[in-house]
Amino acid sequence: MRHAISVLLQNEVGALTRMTGLFSTRGYNIDSLNVAPTNDPSVSRVTLVISGSDWAIAQLNAQLAKLVDVVNIHDMTLGPHFERELVILKLKLATGGFAGVLSLAKRFGAEILDDAQNSCTIQLTGKLGEIDAFIEEASQIGTLSAVARSGSVAVSRGEVALSTYSRDHRLTG
Amino acid sequence: MSSQPSTTEEPQHPLAGTRMTGADMVVQVLADEQVDTIFGYSGGAILPTYDAVFRYNDHNRLANGKSPIPLIVPANEQGAGFMAAGYARASGKVGVVMVTSGPGATNTVTPVRDCQADSVPIVVICGQVPTQAIGTDAFQEAPVSAIMGAVAKHVFLVTDPELLEATMRSAFEIARTGRPGPVVIDIPKDIQNWEGVFTGSGALPLTGYRNRLQSVTGNRISDESCERFYGMLAESERPLIYAGGGVINGNATKAMRRLANAHGIPVATTLMALGASDTTHPLSLHMLGMHGMAFANYAVEDCDFLIAIGARFDDRVAGDPPRFAPNAKKIAHLDIDISEVGKVKSVHWHNVGLLARDLEDLGEYGRKIGFDKSFDAWHEHIAHLKAEHCLNYERDSALIQPYAVIEEINRITGGKAIIATGVGQHQMWAAQYFDFKEPRLWLTSGSMGTMGFGLPAAIGAQFAQPDRLVIDIDGDGSMRMNIGELETATTYGLPVKIIVFNNFGDGMVRQWQKLYYKGRMSGSDKSLHRKDFVKTAEADGFRFAQRLDDQSRLAAVIREFIDFEGPAFLEVIIDPDAGVYPMVGPGMSYDKMITGDYIKSRDKRDDEQPGPSEMF
Repeated sequence: MRHAISVLLQNEVGALTRMTGLFSTRGYNIDSLNVAPTNDPSVSRVTLVISGSDWAIAQLNAQLAKLVDVVNIHDMTLGPHFERELVILKLKLATGGFAGVLSLAKRFGAEILDDAQNSCTIQLTGKLGEIDAFIEEASQIGTLSAVARSGSVAVSRGEVALSTYSRDHRLTG
Repeated sequence: MSSQPSTTEEPQHPLAGTRMTGADMVVQVLADEQVDTIFGYSGGAILPTYDAVFRYNDHNRLANGKSPIPLIVPANEQGAGFMAAGYARASGKVGVVMVTSGPGATNTVTPVRDCQADSVPIVVICGQVPTQAIGTDAFQEAPVSAIMGAVAKHVFLVTDPELLEATMRSAFEIARTGRPGPVVIDIPKDIQNWEGVFTGSGALPLTGYRNRLQSVTGNRISDESCERFYGMLAESERPLIYAGGGVINGNATKAMRRLANAHGIPVATTLMALGASDTTHPLSLHMLGMHGMAFANYAVEDCDFLIAIGARFDDRVAGDPPRFAPNAKKIAHLDIDISEVGKVKSVHWHNVGLLARDLEDLGEYGRKIGFDKSFDAWHEHIAHLKAEHCLNYERDSALIQPYAVIEEINRITGGKAIIATGVGQHQMWAAQYFDFKEPRLWLTSGSMGTMGFGLPAAIGAQFAQPDRLVIDIDGDGSMRMNIGELETATTYGLPVKIIVFNNFGDGMVRQWQKLYYKGRMSGSDKSLHRKDFVKTAEADGFRFAQRLDDQSRLAAVIREFIDFEGPAFLEVIIDPDAGVYPMVGPGMSYDKMITGDYIKSRDKRDDEQPGPSEMF
């Protein structure tokens, strides 16, 4: 199953290396990884998307929780959540191809950032499936010369937020 | 993040408010942590801190004229790492290593990984090139934080001198709390030379780490959970404790023995847990696993309720996890690390917490409910297994049998000596044939299996336990790995006893090559090597350095060797074909155990071979 896991990570020297090092050390392949600071400059939020069995993901979360720099972990997929991704892509167009771009942008609600003679740059924010469909359709209008995806970011639905304090309920069973 | 000046009731540090260098702060925190030995090798990037150690010792000399924090200098930084590991394993205290940048630091990678794999608390302080030189490929620069991050429990690269003091304290906290492990602090030279105000208290916030630790330490076993545990025990006719290194690291030996004795539950220990149960006790099954006692492995096959305590079902114990303890209707697991629960084998009951306290809590509940089920038939069965399938070897050989040598030493030491080992056949023979009456007597590289561990670990242990008899049981291959440390033993006048079982090659490798590679001894034969171990020891200042190759002198020479005051070295020329039995092949289940020619098997011999990729 596909999981989107949010991790709050202390902004320490080498913290990200230690975290990503764990994926290869323990044999995990990640689909996407997004890292950026939060409102608290000492803490970054990481969103990683990974596919694996329930056992493999539980084990990954347990191993992540052993990293000293990790403040808290939440597997968003276990509850209702919002997950979004941003893509910026560049298309090379044949003469007269711009009409197709306009219609594509309108249908997906994408923003045209730049249009030159034979190419244009478009941005879209959306759910995972939308991004995939957008890229697929764009590739049929022109030639994709650049695809920059942010990787997924996610937050849980409702009031629940990933805080700097958590209690592990699986300690007894 | 900032260091937090003490605002609580803690008395103020006498040096609080004093200006000093970063190097002096490092040494002051070591002193505050009651460090009494540093193992390390100097070099350019750590010079300021070495100087601070010298000055500290000079100003704070003990009444007997000795240094309060002596610096013990090895031949190679790997030696320093294993000395600190031996010190930590034998004492339960945090071992301290201090090395320079670049090669000094990278030479400690192996002991750091070794400590991580066996959960041993050490703190490694590395000098680093000055901050502005980091990343320029400077002289003796290595990316220590990146390298060590992959192998240590944690690594700090100090970038803000104001946090140096707090970082030092946090390193000790991380090393010794939870599941213990190695912590590395990489300190650029300019930060050692920086001058600032010593606050005398405060640590880094470590928010996530402390929260998780608190959850674990605060997790007492509930009555409901105790009830379920005793329900499983009540349903069981053949309960068995499978104890791992966590029992020793968690100082839970007493609690575990109490629980086992209260209900008459037999205990099989892993290689890491030798000494957790007194191996001479009737309930003790000594060691289980790949080279465990046949009777211990049979007991695992026969048990109907397996209680894993501080153990992790690793491949040397559960080579074939689905077929491990195949008759256990229930499995319980107590550990401090939740990632070990269900990692290899799913269990029916678990509790993550402090082992010593949790085992006491369980026992207390048992007393409260007056649990008094007796397991007499199981005890009879165990006694029968122990009598029938005990260790044995060829007793009429003209060649010296390694087992006989260990039995002879064990007759003298009676399970009370500290035994360090290298890795290979001699390690397994020592594990099998020595008795261990207490924890922290057995120092071996279990998970990493690092050859060369024994000698430096024995040296470190002797510093931790100066009044104990410390013996390094080594092989000719393992001894070669850190042979430079022979000189360290004589330099510091340590009375360690070093014995090398020489079978002219890598015996364990040869054993596998005989079993699985049709006897092709690729790279494992050393019969043409020219090393004269006795001359080597003599050259390094050993006044007792002998070779034993005559069986008739065995008892007398061993007695003389053990009784010698001061460092002693003994090479024993052993039967080169001596094997380690029993043996459960890699990836195999216990019913495929090979017991060799002298130990009685109860299973039909089976010629099933492990698959080529299972053979590690």
